[in-house]
Amino acid sequence: MALTWRAAALAAAGLVVVVLLPTTATVLLWALLVVLACGTDVALAASPREVAVQRTVPRSVRLTDTSSSTLTLTNRSRRRLRATVRDAWQPSAGTGPNRHEVDLPPGEARRLVTRLRPTRRGDRLADRVTVRSYGPLRLAARQVSLDVPGRLRVLPEFASRRHLPSRLARLREMDGRTAVQIRGAGTEFDSLREYVIGDDVRSIDWRATARRSEVVVRTWRPERDRRVLVVLDTSRTSAARIGDVPRVDASIEAALLLSALAARAGDRVDLIAYDRRLRAQVAGAHGPRLLPALADALAAVEPALVETDWPGVVSAVRQRLSQRALVVLLTSLEPAAVESGVLPVVGPLAGDHTVVLASVADPEVAAMRTRRGDATEVYDAAAAERTDLERAAVSVRLRQRGVEVVDALPDDLAPRLADTYLALKAAGRL
Amino acid sequence: MSAPTTAGRPVPPTGTPATVAPDVAPGAVLGDGTTARGRARSRWRRARWPLVVLLGVLVAAALASVLEPRTSTDPLGHDNPEADGARAVAQVLTGQGVTITPVSTTADAARAAGPGVTLLVSSTWYLSDEQVERVRGTGADLVVVSPDDWHVPVLTGGAVDVVWSASTTVEPRCDDPAARAAGTLTTSGGPYVAVTDAASVCFTGSDGAGGVASATVDGARVTLVSDGSVLTNRYVADEGNAALALHLLGRNDELVWYLPSATDTGESATDPFALLPPWVGPVAAQLGLVLAVVALWRARRLGRLVTEPLPVTVRAAEATEGRARLYRRARSRGHAAAALRAGTARRAAGRLGLPRSAGATDVVDAVARATRRPAEQVTALLYGPPPTDDAGLLRLARQLDELESEVHRT
Repeated sequence: MALTWRAAALAAAGLVVVVLLPTTATVLLWALLVVLACGTDVALAASPREVAVQRTVPRSVRLTDTSSSTLTLTNRSRRRLRATVRDAWQPSAGTGPNRHEVDLPPGEARRLVTRLRPTRRGDRLADRVTVRSYGPLRLAARQVSLDVPGRLRVLPEFASRRHLPSRLARLREMDGRTAVQIRGAGTEFDSLREYVIGDDVRSIDWRATARRSEVVVRTWRPERDRRVLVVLDTSRTSAARIGDVPRVDASIEAALLLSALAARAGDRVDLIAYDRRLRAQVAGAHGPRLLPALADALAAVEPALVETDWPGVVSAVRQRLSQRALVVLLTSLEPAAVESGVLPVVGPLAGDHTVVLASVADPEVAAMRTRRGDATEVYDAAAAERTDLERAAVSVRLRQRGVEVVDALPDDLAPRLADTYLALKAAGRL
Repeated sequence: MSAPTTAGRPVPPTGTPATVAPDVAPGAVLGDGTTARGRARSRWRRARWPLVVLLGVLVAAALASVLEPRTSTDPLGHDNPEADGARAVAQVLTGQGVTITPVSTTADAARAAGPGVTLLVSSTWYLSDEQVERVRGTGADLVVVSPDDWHVPVLTGGAVDVVWSASTTVEPRCDDPAARAAGTLTTSGGPYVAVTDAASVCFTGSDGAGGVASATVDGARVTLVSDGSVLTNRYVADEGNAALALHLLGRNDELVWYLPSATDTGESATDPFALLPPWVGPVAAQLGLVLAVVALWRARRLGRLVTEPLPVTVRAAEATEGRARLYRRARSRGHAAAALRAGTARRAAGRLGLPRSAGATDVVDAVARATRRPAEQVTALLYGPPPTDDAGLLRLARQLDELESEVHRT
């Protein structure tokens, strides 16, 4: 039961009557009239419980892209349905206008489309569908809220994909497909081909040249079919907000760029998200199936307010890797957390695998460090400087244990990690 | 070839309802799985305890208002059970068959009182001269408690006057039956003196002034009591107070108990609503109805609020900001300067290609060479004593910036 502005207007119209006939009986009679009119209107309204509602939602959408939720309403009653329908979603689903006016003859159906433009990664859930069915006079309405489940998976934006072409170009250079060879670009023998001007004379294969009439050079290519395991730390340090997004979102961007690059370079990429237990994993996805699988798995990753179980991470890594591989730890270079968590366990791991630790630095701290306005800001700068020094000190200790450290601002982390990967590949350290 | 086909087909614009097949697809939701009976039952179940509590409160309030006798806190009020009230006297009088009529305006007093009726006036402080005249003109036997001095001659027809007296006495010293019955009172003395033979003054001191004066004016007996405390619940049981009070007030079968107040203009209390036009009440009621309907209209939401399961919103920089505030509060210039110096030294050393293990002298030498500054100056900047005030810290920070900007890779 719900009233409309018309009911209020009807009650207000009684004021004229009461001024003309100022008795208490007039007031009571008018109140009775309002109650009767509203009651009759409600009684004549189509039952909102005889409306079949079906929801169609696309499975997933990338963050910042627009999607839509479609409700199909079928009027199963014998009355005409005049209703307002609200398709409620979580605020971060970014619904456009979600109240729809419906005028539906008996037995007919309508499709109502609600625009969705999600503002957060993850699973966005639909709330209830509310049908408010008005009577013929639109004085009052019957209302019911229906549970019509709907879920829209919002995939990570992968804004760092703009860095992919330049890194792929570098990869091709290393791959030996360009005319100019770069010394040290790979260690695996690839093929022999005819010498062209510009090639490094040191790569001429004299034995092959002797057998043939032209000068032949050896080409090298980077190792292929190496394994890359990305470990995404989803513990409390990844929940901290950098700018307007949790730290884990910048890590996800870096993971996606690295995976895209490594997949194109012919390496096998696996991913696990871990804090005290496994939150998500992608294993054995190849080629074009890799990125969708990653995006889908990472979409639902949310930071948990727990401390990471690093021994558990190490055993999860060892369980998945038999040969030497690149292990990328996407975590935070928080001195206290690193000293008590990563440092004790990372040494043996770095002995067996190439370990890269990538951490998101805070642009706010970086901005604080350069402030010199007044004494207050210098104290801020000193505190920021101290934070940087501590991070640098813990990076040094990590490097002493054989871990590569990449500490970069959120926007730089993905390209920097990709560069580190390319450098490791070029140096044949995979 | 698909473009003309699409253009030729009527495609409903997105967002507007489009008619589709009327058969209900599987997976559609029809109703919320409740019946009218079930909804009524769940509503009753939800509402019954609040209703029981509300009903209980109403019943308790009704019982309280019915069972509890009305009381007041007016001094000398017939329904005031406090120390300064007079409920004890009033209840004894009622038990003796005296009918008490409480009034609060002169008009009501004049209407209720008349010859053969006792009229108690608790004070004349709030009364104008006209009101006092009206009170006296009722022809009732008056008992006036502590009248104002200028009202005394008016009330007694000039038979009694007021003098300043310091006499103390507890004896009646007169032949008034009430005073003789009382014998002694808890009060002492009084300002009244008899001017004519029509008046008699009791409880007089050596100067002839007494605390209780009575006179017969126009056939009505007027008694003035200088101290009303003889009637109060606190003192009425002491000495002969009770006897005096009952004699004075119980003279007639009817007693009008008049408590003048500041709002007493002499007229009967009028209902201020009676002054309004007759349509005001109904219109107000109608406005109430409109308000109720508007409230019901606005109160019903179109479905519930949807909450957002938010992740933690701690900013990562907060720990650093907290540390800055600690530095500032503690005026910890030494720590702040050390951090700034260490940062500059680290970056300069990194830029100059020094190993991490390089000592202070190596760093100073390298920086001095790179910036062409004297080594002492560089030492003072990078490893000097901490600044003594905030201005010094600011200066040091700027000098370090300058030094750092001069360090280039050699």
